[in-house]
Amino acid sequence: MQRYETIFIIDPDLGEEGRAPVVERLVQLIPQRNGVLVEEDHWGARKLAYPIRKKQRGYYLRLDYCGDGALVGELERFCRIDDRLLKYMTVKLADDVNVDEVQAEMAERAAAKAAAEAGPTAEAGPTAEAGPTEEAGATEEAGATAEAGATAETGATAETESTAETESTEEAGSTSEEDESGASAGDKDGDADEASPEDTEDDVDEDDQEDKE
Amino acid sequence: MPAPRTRSGSARPRRRKKVFHRRKVCRFCADSSIVIDYKEPKTLRHFITERGKIIPRRISGTCARHQRTLTQAIKRARTIALLPFVGSLE
Repeated sequence: MQRYETIFIIDPDLGEEGRAPVVERLVQLIPQRNGVLVEEDHWGARKLAYPIRKKQRGYYLRLDYCGDGALVGELERFCRIDDRLLKYMTVKLADDVNVDEVQAEMAERAAAKAAAEAGPTAEAGPTAEAGPTEEAGATEEAGATAEAGATAETGATAETESTAETESTEEAGSTSEEDESGASAGDKDGDADEASPEDTEDDVDEDDQEDKE
Repeated sequence: MPAPRTRSGSARPRRRKKVFHRRKVCRFCADSSIVIDYKEPKTLRHFITERGKIIPRRISGTCARHQRTLTQAIKRARTIALLPFVGSLE
């Protein structure tokens, strides 16, 4: 048994109701031929890089499944017959797949997904972290002012220290962000250089010169 | 291409001095976090020209192994209309 992945491009003008039977039919074909569906992945409607049957957009569906060649043949036969499907492509992911292992993996992924759904509260941490530090700063300041009330001189110094700390943390945060954006911009520049036709021409010229010499 | 050749020919002595070879490093070897996948046209776009041609190794500096996987990924992406066969001239 092999593991395959097929991308289907479905007519985007069908709408939700028109598409459902097509998807259902494709998904049902898999168990009929002793296959195991691993994942059904809807990418949604997106722009095509080139028009297919005069359509500029297509609804992408990815099916990840285990099966044998006959199943792939059946799926592709259906795709060729049905004109609601614009295009398809099958890629073999792995040879000689153990179905039990795949099912274990599926269970694991389902568990991970369940954890991820519970995760958003945990993932909110980074943004929430900024809050607590600020709050901590505020409480520190409050403490400092309280101290200032008790002993005027030492309190004042404590206050300046606490404010300085908060400022420095803010600065650190902003600079790190800038660094990241700068790096990404640099990458883009590099890409543009590589992709520009002028650059390629220059390189070709250089090679020619080297050849002459 | 006669025009660029004459230009580079006339500017040759000056240019010879200026030539410096920037060491090209395979981007996928340098950063193992980038995965070549035909389902991610965003990363593949960096390795095709505006016209949609695959940028040769000689220019992009990609190593042989990664260029092979890249080529396969780009061709697959073209098949399912994630990348163009022929790009438009913008």
